[in-house]
Amino acid sequence: MVKRATAQSARQKPARPHRHGKGRCVAVLRKLSAYIDDELPGTLCAELRKHLGGCPNCEEFVASLRQTVTLCRHQPTPSLSATERARMRDQILKAARAR
Amino acid sequence: MAITATKTGPDRSSADSSHTTASFDTLYRDHVDLMYRFATRLCGESEAAKDLVQETFLNAYRGYKAFRGDAQVSTWLYTIASRACMRMRRKRKGEPDHELSLEEFIPTSDGEFRLQIPVEGLSPEEALQNKQLRQALDQAIAKLPKKYRMVLILRDMEGLSAKEVGSVVGLNERAVKSRLHRARLFVRRELSARGIAEPEETHNGHRLTHRGA
Repeated sequence: MVKRATAQSARQKPARPHRHGKGRCVAVLRKLSAYIDDELPGTLCAELRKHLGGCPNCEEFVASLRQTVTLCRHQPTPSLSATERARMRDQILKAARAR
Repeated sequence: MAITATKTGPDRSSADSSHTTASFDTLYRDHVDLMYRFATRLCGESEAAKDLVQETFLNAYRGYKAFRGDAQVSTWLYTIASRACMRMRRKRKGEPDHELSLEEFIPTSDGEFRLQIPVEGLSPEEALQNKQLRQALDQAIAKLPKKYRMVLILRDMEGLSAKEVGSVVGLNERAVKSRLHRARLFVRRELSARGIAEPEETHNGHRLTHRGA
């Protein structure tokens, strides 16, 4: 699996400095879930949107966080077979009565 | 809780065994798939997941008479399952249950701002047909400290509201959202740290051979 350090663009140059300082970064980062969940009050949301418009890195970051949540929501899971379902029911009842 | 009961407990005056079994069967039939799904998301592997489902319904069977119906049955079962899961011994030694700080999620190089995975132009269902991506997502979630994993699964995978998650794990809504946010950032970082190939191109660094051959 490709490690973080080998990502193409990261190899040549160190981090491209943000236009805003780290403190601002954390302030933006803190609000991103509320932003993508549509839970930010109007003024804060407008402020954040304005910032994202001028900061491609943050814009990409939000998109990737949104993708992450979307993938979580759609991750498939296996289901139980009818036989397993019945077997487990019997075991539970047996255990419940064994007390 | 503002949630109205969709189902109430059995008639408490008639506690005979056949009645209890019939009530249990209804409870089990209606919710076993939900609990199995939740358990596989929490435990990952199917045997541990089955153990958790059995433990959950056993506890539900024993506690059914005390269930007051002031919450949805599913929320009640989620609560039992999450407590049972927190009690279960950690199988992998050294699994950290540390606090996640926001600072650790600030990318430090350009490549970390986005996900290096093939999702462009694909629906989530199509993107998740990529086995490598499904595994990477499972691994990222499994790597989360348990209390963060619990909140992420309940909110983003099981689809409970933040308030419902709070009642399941015993936190206020604000704490749930804070924990959820850190969990999402963690999974995002794990995914961005990995390069996942298009399914047709490579598999473990080797060219795939023809499927039909």
